[in-house]
Amino acid sequence: MKIVICAKEVRDPDAVDNYVLHGRLEIGPDGKTLTQTSIPRLMNAYDEQAIEAALRLRDKGLQCTIHAVSIGADPSNILRHAAALGADEIVHIAVDAESIDGSVTAALLAGYIRSIGGADLVLCGRQASDDDQGVVPALLSETLGMPIITVARAVELVQSDPATVRVTRVTPNGDELVEATCPAVVTISNELGTPRYPITARTMKARRMKPTVLSVEQLGLQPDHIRPLVTLTRQFVSTVQGHCEFISGNGPAELAQGLVGRLREARVLN
Amino acid sequence: MSNAIVICTWERDHEGVPAGTAEVLTLARKLSGAQGLQLNWLILGPMPAGAAALAGQHGVANIEWIDDGGLASFQPDTCTEALAQYAAQHSPAALLLAQTFDARLIAPRVAARVGAGVVMNAVDLSVDGGTLTMTTAAYGGNTRAVYALTNARSCVIGVLADGLSAEPAPAPTSPTTQRISVDVSGVQERVRVVERADLQGPRLQDAQIIVAGGRGLGSKENFRLVEELAAALGGMAGASRPIVDDGWTDSSHQVGLTGKITRPALYIAAGISGASQHMVGCAAAKTLVAINRDPDAAIFRYARYGIVGDCLEILPELVRAAKAR
Repeated sequence: MKIVICAKEVRDPDAVDNYVLHGRLEIGPDGKTLTQTSIPRLMNAYDEQAIEAALRLRDKGLQCTIHAVSIGADPSNILRHAAALGADEIVHIAVDAESIDGSVTAALLAGYIRSIGGADLVLCGRQASDDDQGVVPALLSETLGMPIITVARAVELVQSDPATVRVTRVTPNGDELVEATCPAVVTISNELGTPRYPITARTMKARRMKPTVLSVEQLGLQPDHIRPLVTLTRQFVSTVQGHCEFISGNGPAELAQGLVGRLREARVLN
Repeated sequence: MSNAIVICTWERDHEGVPAGTAEVLTLARKLSGAQGLQLNWLILGPMPAGAAALAGQHGVANIEWIDDGGLASFQPDTCTEALAQYAAQHSPAALLLAQTFDARLIAPRVAARVGAGVVMNAVDLSVDGGTLTMTTAAYGGNTRAVYALTNARSCVIGVLADGLSAEPAPAPTSPTTQRISVDVSGVQERVRVVERADLQGPRLQDAQIIVAGGRGLGSKENFRLVEELAAALGGMAGASRPIVDDGWTDSSHQVGLTGKITRPALYIAAGISGASQHMVGCAAAKTLVAINRDPDAAIFRYARYGIVGDCLEILPELVRAAKAR
């Protein structure tokens, strides 16, 4: 079985959060790019969980090759991380990730998946933690004509011929159990749980691995296919209006009584 | 063809007009005014009670109604196909959806089928030099990313309705209802439901009072302090994502961008730092109370009332104070 993982390199969202909290996030002269080089680049955490989902299938005895693919100027660090975790093939599609949108990303990923003769299972993170758009997996499923199951907490294969994937989805009304015949696209959520750490021997080996680099032309795509339909024009820090009234008091009991009293006065509590 | 601004809704579980519809109508009206285009409301499946009155209040020109038996309940492949056929026939300049769990799945698929752009997490829409411009929440709500529609004539837009307010139109309308037909008879749902989601009891997103805990609780055992205060106030317990990831409680309690979006009357955040990711899920609370040891914690920027202190000491005292009359 062939499993493709789509992985994106993102700026560490916790570092961005921290800079915003201290009012120090810098946006470059183009008005949209976060320029601080001190913000680490890492694999989108949901995509790491997508790799984990694939590795759990392998742990259960599934014979599979895992292909990790990423788009960008140089995502080789995250691809080596994917290899260290257990990806057999690592693939770099060389396109400037900052200038494309979800539709172009989906076209490039579909081009890659077709170039390797298709995939049985495509696993993606539910969204990227930078733009939070979360549209690529569904666009990709449409381009490839595959069914899509979103926001998975658990993925298993219940039948081998035809291969059938069974997924526990996290919905607003609780967990839902669904299945689809492969090939299928599944998006993974944080409820899957913490991904494993790579073992040292694999990390050492992965360090020497070179990603296969593919260009737009090699994927058989025309310039038309890589024209973004939406373009990021500007980015700015959201502002919050603070007007917090701090409750004063001597010790926890007094503070608590003060708060409850205040909430009753304001008729928030009875 | 109409090239209207269209908002689309469908009912789920006979809930009436879906939550967020009035807010999305308000934003859609702003856009239709800016572009000089008609505002239409597309309803898939059963007509929810009160739709006509709400449409009139919000200046809708036409209610477009696809009353196909295949749309009686929400099914993703059927819904996608119906919307794609509608969009192909009517070429709306923008198709707006309140960003529910289901809409997140449908919006990009419809866009892919008709070659439209797609943008999610929209909080504002405008027209800049004739170009449709969409302001979205990015980096878990830390930044706003502004997108322009560049190489497409129409865009499917998911709107974060919870941060928006609903305002009726200055001049109400008397919308006509126009039936639209699509053919979804050939659609086979490819994802089979083995076990339905069947949440017993109340849902966090409907709760009027929520007490939520975060890492400041220190350990899994202390989550019961949050549950005790929630019980004492007749509310429900919520949680930040880090403690759900760590297994202190299950994900049905998770509040935030990737959890539940709540809008209670009272939200008490105990030991929660106030990461934007979390605030997306509770910023719409009418009154937000923060309890945190760190006076500089981001949560206090959002809070109406604050206590600087250890939530492990404060929470039991709050239970006592709530029970005392």
